[in-house]
Amino acid sequence: MTIPIVPKLLRSHLSDLAERDARIDGRGRWEGRELEVQHSILPRAEGSARVRMGDTIVLAGVKFQIMTPYPDRPNQGGLMCSAEVRPVAGRNWESGPPSPESIELGRVVDRGIRESGCIDVDSLCIIPGEKAWQVILDLFAISDDGNLFDAFALAGITALRNATVPAERFEVGEDYQLSVSKTPMMCSYHRVGGRFVFDATAREELGGDERIHITLGDDNNVHSLQKGLKGIFSAEEFTEIMDNAIERAEELRKIVDEL
Amino acid sequence: MGGYGDVQMIDENGVRADGRGPGDIRPITIETGVVPVADGSCRMTWGTNEAIVAVYGPMEAHPRKIQRQDRAVLDVAYNMAPFSTTDRMRPGFNRRSREVSKVTQDALESVVLLELYPRSKIRISIEIVSAEAGTRCVGLTAASVALADAGIPMTDLVVSVASGKINDVVVCDLNKEEDNYGEADLPMGILPNSGELVFLQMDGDLSQDEFKQAWKYNMDAAQEIHKLMVEALKEGDSQ
Repeated sequence: MTIPIVPKLLRSHLSDLAERDARIDGRGRWEGRELEVQHSILPRAEGSARVRMGDTIVLAGVKFQIMTPYPDRPNQGGLMCSAEVRPVAGRNWESGPPSPESIELGRVVDRGIRESGCIDVDSLCIIPGEKAWQVILDLFAISDDGNLFDAFALAGITALRNATVPAERFEVGEDYQLSVSKTPMMCSYHRVGGRFVFDATAREELGGDERIHITLGDDNNVHSLQKGLKGIFSAEEFTEIMDNAIERAEELRKIVDEL
Repeated sequence: MGGYGDVQMIDENGVRADGRGPGDIRPITIETGVVPVADGSCRMTWGTNEAIVAVYGPMEAHPRKIQRQDRAVLDVAYNMAPFSTTDRMRPGFNRRSREVSKVTQDALESVVLLELYPRSKIRISIEIVSAEAGTRCVGLTAASVALADAGIPMTDLVVSVASGKINDVVVCDLNKEEDNYGEADLPMGILPNSGELVFLQMDGDLSQDEFKQAWKYNMDAAQEIHKLMVEALKEGDSQ
């Protein structure tokens, strides 16, 4: 990603807004953008989802491959999660090998899903020691207006929850629904104008500082954390964010459950 | 081409497996403004193909060595998303994508009024999120709509469509199965207002008569698709 020149004007504007407890697009500090979630929208994928948060749009697609289980875990399949942000998604994203930003994106989303244990890797075994399913979750950005993390995580879990294991095509039995036992949810906070806000837009990211990502499971257990970019935050600030994440994650989970 | 003669894909009455006649195209939808952060964009579905195209620019061309003093340069990238195919498409470098990007760029550079924007770059990202058959045609057609949506001056839109041959019958717009087992494929990029061409490829085996028939099917289909493109642009404009 090219390094955009952060206009000093934008930073000072964001600070002025923060003093009045306002945001650049008129939202409240903890308010998310309008959200739209669809699933099973890609004909070639075994599971898919499209998430729109304001002007941020992402796709998630699930594909399956047959793998040889690792020798130390002969009864387990695998889960792989990768994120791609190609130039289609914004003028600052460039082609070429994956940038550190998109690698971080993929890995943070991967950890949240993997560590929640929502996919039982034992259930992916076909013949112990010989054949097992590898689930591949590909996250793909269409339009980046900020907070790709939450959009990817939400699209990812929605696609997995609606995935069919293509056993017939691989001639290993009948197709069946992938079992996903939990619904981990990521909530991301950016420091903008000196204080943390939920679901930042691209302009807030551009004129903001560090960010914190929290993934919570069904029981509010913490499954992944990530602090990104330069910045210092206090324990009090983190507690406030965590309390908010518990509320937001529950709202998001409800949306996905009702699909 | 595969050329499996024993797979029957068209019956004696000229009805294809999916119910189309020889000259019929698959259903098409076109929508503009689908990438809100881009200067112009288009989503096109064609059968179960789906392409999303974003246009950024004209903007500064960098690195500077790519700049042209007398005109803009186009930077066209055609790519298939990992979940766009039956077997997962591994992301990264791929000779086929490079070639399709290049011929698409050559086609679009033939219609964009590049001399209006010296030293600048116009970036066109073509992402195939679902592939059936004929993705290069979908990509090129959608790219010309996205350029128009971005307000970039062009001499004409480009309609790209392919015809081919299945079981020794010339047909328009091959679907996935017809493409796998077909005997020829002739994709063209047509300027609908003049009937001129900016893109042409072919592989397979066609007699002179078959070739003329395939050409005619493409020309007729181009007029039909052009109407849909214009409608989509008008609709996008009125919103």
